[in-house]
Amino acid sequence: MDFSWLQDPFYQEYLVEGLINTLWLLVVSAVGGLLLAVAVAMARIKGPRPLAWLASGFTTVIRGTPLLVQLFFFYYGVGRLLEDIPGIQDSVIWPLLRDPFFYGALTFILSVGAYSGEVIRGALVSVPPGEREAGRAFGLTPFQVFARLWLPRAIQLCLPTLTGEMILLLKSVPLVSTIAMMDLLQAANIIRDETFLVYEPLTLIAGLYLALTVVLTLVLRQVERHFPGMQPTRRRWLPLRRVETAPCKH
Amino acid sequence: MTSSTQAPSPDASAALAVEVRHLVKRYGDLEVLRDVSLEVPEGSVTSIIGASGSGKSTLLRCLNLLERPDQGDLAIADETIRFDRNPQGGIVGLDRRQLQRLRAKVSMVFQQFNLWPHFTVLGNVTEAPMRVQGLSRRRAIERAEHYLERVGMADKRDGYPAYLSGGQQQRVAIARALAMEPRLLLFDEPTSALDPERVSEVLGVIRDLAAEGRTMVLVTHEMAFAREVSDQVVFLDRGFVGEAGSPRRVFEESRDPRCRRFVAPAA
Repeated sequence: MDFSWLQDPFYQEYLVEGLINTLWLLVVSAVGGLLLAVAVAMARIKGPRPLAWLASGFTTVIRGTPLLVQLFFFYYGVGRLLEDIPGIQDSVIWPLLRDPFFYGALTFILSVGAYSGEVIRGALVSVPPGEREAGRAFGLTPFQVFARLWLPRAIQLCLPTLTGEMILLLKSVPLVSTIAMMDLLQAANIIRDETFLVYEPLTLIAGLYLALTVVLTLVLRQVERHFPGMQPTRRRWLPLRRVETAPCKH
Repeated sequence: MTSSTQAPSPDASAALAVEVRHLVKRYGDLEVLRDVSLEVPEGSVTSIIGASGSGKSTLLRCLNLLERPDQGDLAIADETIRFDRNPQGGIVGLDRRQLQRLRAKVSMVFQQFNLWPHFTVLGNVTEAPMRVQGLSRRRAIERAEHYLERVGMADKRDGYPAYLSGGQQQRVAIARALAMEPRLLLFDEPTSALDPERVSEVLGVIRDLAAEGRTMVLVTHEMAFAREVSDQVVFLDRGFVGEAGSPRRVFEESRDPRCRRFVAPAA
């Protein structure tokens, strides 16, 4: 294995840029996607019928088509259509609309919104209704009941599943290398093209992804552990602790 | 109007905490409450008894409007409820502001406790006083500690509900209700979900509350307890008030055959 190219400052720069873009895209997609997911879930549970249908159709379409196809659809399809709108190239949002990052983030936000929306919907309906009723009975407003009681409980119930969704999201990010965005895989591709080395750059970014996944897992595990109402079981010989939802006594 | 038995108030001069007139509640075609009138004087304890399906819980839940009645008039804790009505007098809506204000004055204890599992015991008790009554965190905690002490749960303040027994959870739920310093306390079968050996610890707390003159309405299957603590007992039967009055009247002197049969095991 020849890793001498790692000394080259140009390649180092590519890799750093790729890493930063990968992480940035992950964070933007996760935050935006989870917000959308909550909205989709609530639309399906409580929304007026047309809105519930819209949310349900959205979920079906996004979950029923390949992510790569969606990415191409937004970047080559929608992106090219936008170009033809008169005056848009002079507008302030054009730099955003020209950037593949925008289309990557859009695609992933919609994807997380659909997949995690279903997860959150399931969790919301499995929170015992008596807990919400108690909130109403004490005079909390409908929004307080949602934000203080219902949603936190639902997230508590589905947090381990959401952790899995976030790891899948991280590993979907390399797809953006196909729309000319400088992520980790794109950096590896450039290095491969210029050095004619195939395995070394791929091995490096595979290792980086593995490291990112482990870090992400550990961070989310901490979030799970410190989520109110969750208590860790006793420490095991592995550094990772088992987390259990508090037993439900109803 | 069909025949409605008016519950005579034990002390006619006392102010009323609850005044219910000709209440009707339907679920689709099923008429759960057909014509119920009820008066609860300030500082008294009223027990609602009756067979399953007689409408006891529905009546109780109409008092804080967790259920919206279809017809009738309600005055609770100085709030004459302003319903939006259709031309026939049927209730179609209510005033959100007044609803919130009413619920801040009327606390409820549920059969299934309904504690909030993601809050600690203390968090459960401070939540509504802080969010609804606008108490500062410090004052809410002082209040919560006071009432947790009263129900004997002060040592569990930092624990989570799932790690408590049913009886302990219900005592926390009572502290949560008391922390609102309500004008009226509603109990919806507070011991029905408990193991038999846990019932007495909860009844003990309720008995103490009755003794200090709190206004309470209690739906219960604990006949002996209802007889012991109540100023007024209401026997609900198929959506009507079958019998109402002092415990003596309901448990010993009722002329309603269905009431006599119902209370016979306890008499």
